Amino acid sequence: MVENMKIAVSADGSTLDAKVANRFNTARYLLIIDLDTSEYEAVPNPFTTGQHGAGIQAIILAVSRGAKAVLTGYTSPAVVNQFKSSGIEVRTGMTGTIRDAVEQYKTTSSVKVSGTETESKASVVNKSLLVHATKSSLRQFVNLLPILIGVVLLIGLFNAFVSEEWLTSFFSGNMALDTLWGAFFGSIFAGNPINSYVIGGELLKYGVSLFAVTAFIVTWVTVGLVQLPAEIAAFGKRFAFLRNTLSFVFALPIAVLTVLIVNLLGRWIS
Amino acid sequence: MSNSNKQRSGNKPIFNRMFLFPIIILVIYAILFSVLPDKAGQAIRSSGNVFLSMLVPLGLVFVIMLLINLFLKPAAVAKFLGKGSGIRGIALSAVAGIISTGPIYVWYPLLKDLREKGAGESSIAIFLYNRAVKPFLLPVMIGYFGWLYITVLIILTILASVVVGFFISLYPSSQRN
Repeated sequence: MVENMKIAVSADGSTLDAKVANRFNTARYLLIIDLDTSEYEAVPNPFTTGQHGAGIQAIILAVSRGAKAVLTGYTSPAVVNQFKSSGIEVRTGMTGTIRDAVEQYKTTSSVKVSGTETESKASVVNKSLLVHATKSSLRQFVNLLPILIGVVLLIGLFNAFVSEEWLTSFFSGNMALDTLWGAFFGSIFAGNPINSYVIGGELLKYGVSLFAVTAFIVTWVTVGLVQLPAEIAAFGKRFAFLRNTLSFVFALPIAVLTVLIVNLLGRWIS
Repeated sequence: MSNSNKQRSGNKPIFNRMFLFPIIILVIYAILFSVLPDKAGQAIRSSGNVFLSMLVPLGLVFVIMLLINLFLKPAAVAKFLGKGSGIRGIALSAVAGIISTGPIYVWYPLLKDLREKGAGESSIAIFLYNRAVKPFLLPVMIGYFGWLYITVLIILTILASVVVGFFISLYPSSQRN
């Protein structure tokens, strides 16, 4: 089955007579237009936060709706190149009405962007891709740091004040109960899982069982009480409650099985 | 068509929370230094040791992050989700969850949209569960728990995600239209 060619345009309004929005993170709508049938769909743009990466998210949304090309006023060349390498054309410099932009795209896209030109720019593309990837990695990494540093400082406090006796009074050594406690604490907390590994690793040093620590690590990501309101808003109460409950319940056998299997294999290997 | 504009507010809390927590801890330290300087010093030294032991794994984390950002495009993740059914659909949702990066808030609007486009609820549940598998954090995980433990945990996590997805599909949400 041949899919129809669809393109997406950042738009100020929900019709073809609306103006092309200059940037994705200010566009009120994304118009997804079928070039063969001229049918279109106006998708409200949820990424108008002005936050970094909002443009990329909007383009991904368009792609997930079937768009093979995306038209807009301006987005950074790094973004254009990033999508180009995955086969999505992001065309900038578009102005006027959506209808004009689509016509302009139709007339120029038959004159394919010449291959030679693309090839001669290949090294430039790779270089800017690397720069872009480094930048976004740095951003991800830096975003991860504040809470991680907070956690490490908290562990310091913990080490200075909490005694092993106190902690082991919580975690009694009872496999079932410890696992339950671990899963419970993991459900309350949320955030980057790196923090759960650091905390879990420190708890192990205090003699807390691996059952509890594993349950803690698993529910840290899979169960989210903190983000429950957001999950309900996105998928409805029923889904959110059911998913979180199931995830909590399954964390328990995962923890027990993981430790048992590791112990078995560990003995077998050594 | 539903109005997803409401989702916008979902992006805010991460920013606040990101700095709120370390600031609270720093305030506690400040108070502690004036009251119990000995204990505070002990806590700082202990934190320093924990941080030092993490330097190498953290460096590796950055390298893997960079590789993922270089070779995996967000567009590819979006393409994976909600496509295919049966085993293929399950595998694609799991892979998308594993390679997805960034805070979960960023993903809700996109997942919501995909669900409205027909992606199964079980795919979304599988995606969310597999976010527990973090390739770029492997160095830290292995540093703390060893590769054997991590391998077993990852396999069990992926299996559990499929089971959770199965149960979710048994009770489809009535909200869906």
